[in-house]
Amino acid sequence: MIHLTRARRLSVLALALTLLLAGDPPPAHAQGGPVTLNLVSWSYGVEIVRDNVAKFQQRYPGVTVNYSDFSWGTYHDAMVARFVGRTPTDVLYASDHWLQEWAAAGWIIPIDEPFPQVRQYLAEYSPFVREALTYKGRIYGTPYYADTFIFVYNADHLQRAGISAPPSTLEELTRQAEAIKAKGIAEFPIVLGWGQQDPFSIESFTSLVFAQRNGSLFDKDFNPVFKTPGSAADKVVTWAADALGGKKIMSPTSLQAANLDQIRSLQSGAATFGIVPSYTLAVLNDPGQTQLAGKFKIALMPGETRATVGFIRFYAISAQVPRRGKDAMTAAWSFLDYFGGKIDGEYRITKRWSLDKGLGFAQTALFADKEIRAAFGKWADVDMLQKQAQLARAKDGMTPYYGTWDVYSRAELHKAYLGQQKPAETLANMARKWEELKAKEK
Amino acid sequence: MTGRRARRLERAALNVACLGVAFFILAPFVWMLICSVAGEAELTRRPPVFVPTPPTLANYTFIFTGRLPQDPARHGIFVWQTSQEVRLLLPALRNSFIVAVSVMAANVVFGGLAAYTFARLRFHGRRSSYAFILISRLMPAVAVAIPFYAIVQQLDLLDTYRALILVYLAFTFPFTIYFLSVYFRYLPAEVEEAALLDGCSRFQTLLRVVVPCAAPGLVAAAAFAFMTAYNEFLFALLLTQTIAAQTMPVLLAAVATNPAVSHALLAACVTLAIIPPALLGLVLRRYLTRGLAASIAR
Amino acid sequence: MTPERCYPYATVLPVLVVVALFTVYPLLYSAHLSVHENVLTRPLDHDFVGLQNFREVVTGYYFWRSLWSTAVFAAMAVAAVALYGLGTALLLNQALLGSALLNVVVLLPWAIPTVISGIIWRWIFDGDYGVLNGLLLVTGVVKRYVPWMSQPFTARLCMVVAHVWKQGPLASVFLVAALQVIPPALYDAAHIDGAGRWRAFRFVTLPYLKPTLGLVLIYETIVAIATFDLVYVMTGGGPADATAIIGWYAYTEIFRFLNLGHGAALALILGVMLLGLVMIYLRAFRAEDAT
Repeated sequence: MIHLTRARRLSVLALALTLLLAGDPPPAHAQGGPVTLNLVSWSYGVEIVRDNVAKFQQRYPGVTVNYSDFSWGTYHDAMVARFVGRTPTDVLYASDHWLQEWAAAGWIIPIDEPFPQVRQYLAEYSPFVREALTYKGRIYGTPYYADTFIFVYNADHLQRAGISAPPSTLEELTRQAEAIKAKGIAEFPIVLGWGQQDPFSIESFTSLVFAQRNGSLFDKDFNPVFKTPGSAADKVVTWAADALGGKKIMSPTSLQAANLDQIRSLQSGAATFGIVPSYTLAVLNDPGQTQLAGKFKIALMPGETRATVGFIRFYAISAQVPRRGKDAMTAAWSFLDYFGGKIDGEYRITKRWSLDKGLGFAQTALFADKEIRAAFGKWADVDMLQKQAQLARAKDGMTPYYGTWDVYSRAELHKAYLGQQKPAETLANMARKWEELKAKEK
Repeated sequence: MTGRRARRLERAALNVACLGVAFFILAPFVWMLICSVAGEAELTRRPPVFVPTPPTLANYTFIFTGRLPQDPARHGIFVWQTSQEVRLLLPALRNSFIVAVSVMAANVVFGGLAAYTFARLRFHGRRSSYAFILISRLMPAVAVAIPFYAIVQQLDLLDTYRALILVYLAFTFPFTIYFLSVYFRYLPAEVEEAALLDGCSRFQTLLRVVVPCAAPGLVAAAAFAFMTAYNEFLFALLLTQTIAAQTMPVLLAAVATNPAVSHALLAACVTLAIIPPALLGLVLRRYLTRGLAASIAR
Repeated sequence: MTPERCYPYATVLPVLVVVALFTVYPLLYSAHLSVHENVLTRPLDHDFVGLQNFREVVTGYYFWRSLWSTAVFAAMAVAAVALYGLGTALLLNQALLGSALLNVVVLLPWAIPTVISGIIWRWIFDGDYGVLNGLLLVTGVVKRYVPWMSQPFTARLCMVVAHVWKQGPLASVFLVAALQVIPPALYDAAHIDGAGRWRAFRFVTLPYLKPTLGLVLIYETIVAIATFDLVYVMTGGGPADATAIIGWYAYTEIFRFLNLGHGAALALILGVMLLGLVMIYLRAFRAEDAT
């Protein structure tokens, strides 16, 4: 009999549990003040973002910011799910990789029509920033940071190998790497962040292409010029495949590495050369993190033109905001202006990122700023940084389908690097994919 | 003599094989435990420090209190790499638990009722509905991701427990029904018939006679449902966006795919996340094997 | 109707409704999506395009590539799980101290979410800091760290190991259950007939295991084909798409290429292709039903 009652009690309990537990807690975006802004970013310097948000809320007491962050590698996908699912998202980080894609899908809005005052800032930006922030003649945000890809080397390794100057071309890079390998200083002197998951990888690749003679991927009408034999891209892919599989001077982990893995390899002295966004040099030369601090130097991107990729990450306003009404729009603009524009006549947040983390900036004039020069001077040759920044170009081929092509191309490039197919095949496939996507766009 | 020696040798070899498999099973757990009490700098060395001395609780402290470790030499780049996301582990575990327990309870109650009906009763559409339920499980989950998303969106259930529970019920019912109906069918029917003759209703019979006999089977089915719900990733990823409903696998995947994460910290998260299902697995092991054995034995 | 006549329908209906909601509707929805243009970056074009999406998916590079990757992964994974399950089951079925110990822990990985097992194993196999490399280096097996996850073949192997660790235990438990119902008398008979170990296994154990083994194989095939979590946390499809199996491809099509029409067409093609497997599965259930 005990059994029977216990069984019944259990089943009643089970039913009750189902019904009780299935209730949901109140939504997380409960109103804290007149306006709540949902801010989404990728995970970087989260503690600084929080601090900035707190200061912003002090200045705008009517606005409450609800903050969440996602990993950089999956940020695109996470945002797509949010946009499609209409998860409350008001202001967000975005990248020039996806600006056109998100704008075309109607997920983020141009801000220069409701807030023409954004145009006052444009003249101060580097040309590549202006270009990369624009889609169909409209401006889509204010800069979080703008940076360039730079070539870094471990000066100590070069000295030990008896090399007096860093490489100025790919051929020289190969020779120096071979010498360093031969002397046993580093098993794999070159490490790149070419993991298939890292959106930086296409930018790092493009930087090398830009640095070569006739270094472009697309012409003005978005025709792929990289598939022609002997193109800059052909040269870079062929070089990389040989460095990786042939001469074994490039670390095999490059194909799994994200930017951070690259940092770890360089910091530990396992590798000599890398291609990184310039702020990474601040990490590499941070004495709190590695004994090799101070050994890492910047050189112009190896190649005939010495050009590189300049990229922009920016604050955007989601299309949900105008639907929420005027107050929300005003609050969102306040946020963009506070974070990406001037506060009391000064780019305060932008400067903070530069001083604390070494992030680059869109506003060229900041290179003359005393504080910034002093801070950057601790980890880099500032004139050299500026010189490389002046040679920077926005990625070419910026279209709503660039993101799709990027993901496709990362795998195609891997196949060439691994020797699974010829570089020419990879480039032909990449061109075919591009044409296919372009044809659909009409 | 030689025969006995050969047998002894064979026993030794088999014991070693058992230990080998046990090592394969346990080593990852042990390594995670070790990592979780280490500093980041000890793990990013070549080779890593195999025994962190002294063990540190800094990683756990951070998860529970948000306090950053004080020793930068040991925890190295930990500080600037920290994503606050790991602090959401406990709410995510709570979400996982609520969803999994709900799914489990509903499986036992509704799945059990239906399975008993399929096992014992004749009615119109029995065969076809049984076949339909079983076949439904064969739809590859990734293939129906978009429509599932659309349904949940139309029901206005995105980012809620209820969405996950509904979807997981659709996933777990087929197995529960199959498993329990087979199980029930091999219970002796005589006692039930006697109860029915005594004037008990179907439901009463089920509750008073069948449930006690079928306890191991029910526990096994419950455990399966719980684990499926606790483990599921793809739909949790699609259908939840905030910590209001985000489950542990989604949170941990987000943390783990972040190259900036501290591995020691991640190991602490993993260790904490493993404890509940591992305990459940250990406790229910007997029931599970007995339940499975009974359903297979026929 | 009397309560007694209502009872079967009342008990079956809740389950049927939930299952149908997530079966019938998704199929119709997919069918509709698949014959229309639906790319998220072109929110205004939703033309009827007939079978164009199907044509593009089938002639596209990803489809065949991911089918091949899926086949390779599934073949390796299913074989490995079956062998591991069988071996472990035979060990568990002995009267040994080791078996008793193994019995306590064998089911443990099964309780661990796939995502977590992927995270753990990725960290173990890490080419720069993985403990496997550390152990191999210390014991002198390798001279320098091996980048396990950077080569297509080894990356697949890593995924299979993680998969076996997580999926193997269930297979073991199923097979042990099956082993335990083999009447010992049969072994005695085989022994009397002078059959050796192998012959006893071949002619007594294996036939008894066959139905369960079949079930395990089919179940594991479906699990392997549907794998997504492992790819997501371990490799992201790389290197060179070697681990981009079909589940990952479907995810990419939707979340990275934003092409829902393709996604739906792919779903339906997959469904039809799985029909072969479904038939086998069904037959297995039928056989079960008949007994």
